[in-house]
Amino acid sequence: MNLFSGTINTLQQSLNYSSIKNQTIASNIANVDTPNYKAKDVVFKDVLQNELSSSIAAKRTHPRHLSFDLDQRLSYQTVQRNNTTFNHNGNNVDIDKEMAELAQNQIYYQSLVDRINGKFNSLQTVIKGGR
Amino acid sequence: MSIFNAFNASSSALTAQRLRMDVISSNIANANTTRATVNENGEYEPYRRKMVQIEPTDKSFRTFLQKATSTTDNKATGVKVTEIVEDEEPFKLVYNPSHPDANEAGYVQMPNVDPLKEMVDLMSATRSYEANITAINASKSMLMKALEIGK
Repeated sequence: MNLFSGTINTLQQSLNYSSIKNQTIASNIANVDTPNYKAKDVVFKDVLQNELSSSIAAKRTHPRHLSFDLDQRLSYQTVQRNNTTFNHNGNNVDIDKEMAELAQNQIYYQSLVDRINGKFNSLQTVIKGGR
Repeated sequence: MSIFNAFNASSSALTAQRLRMDVISSNIANANTTRATVNENGEYEPYRRKMVQIEPTDKSFRTFLQKATSTTDNKATGVKVTEIVEDEEPFKLVYNPSHPDANEAGYVQMPNVDPLKEMVDLMSATRSYEANITAINASKSMLMKALEIGK
């Protein structure tokens, strides 16, 4: 029986995603005046991409062999938005979008922490036998 | 991976924007300075407008190597001022025969500083500084919230 259900793992991954997203937004805002800087974005890897990348699997003759894909557990990746230019200097950071995403990401993170705490609290209730 | 990556990126930008403000202040302060440097002929030259050159910190060989060898490293990119360059625009000529630095025709070379341009630049630097402060506050509140996990 799995005591720590999949929910906690999911929440943990989402927390990782959210903190990487915060770092990415911070770099975008830091480089808002940098010439030729291209904005970065964190996206969830889509299903097709996952299928494509996992099509070549390493032949593992021992369970402790490493697979080709080392970041299999990560369901997100950082990409660069190369196809647009907002300013004369080749920069494409949309500051309004970044600020809005910053606020959104903050609330998202707080709600995740809230949920994971709720999960732990119910476990605690069970452990203490409802007392 | 450090949890303070976002902090470091934002604070490097604060430093860069503050330096930018310093350079702009110097430009405005010297908007009328006619004797800033002495050229090779021993004559006074007016002040030249200065500008900062900013660059992301991920342009070094080390970061490229790191990126090529690892697939998981998502270090936040900070910003740094690489150089303070001088504006090569010609000096403004103002007719003022009584000025001590006027030439034979009565014209004085004034610095190539445009106060309007400087004010706009100053506003832009201020706003960027504020945006980075907001980003730091967001990172801080997220870290404080993370400390509450399991409480």
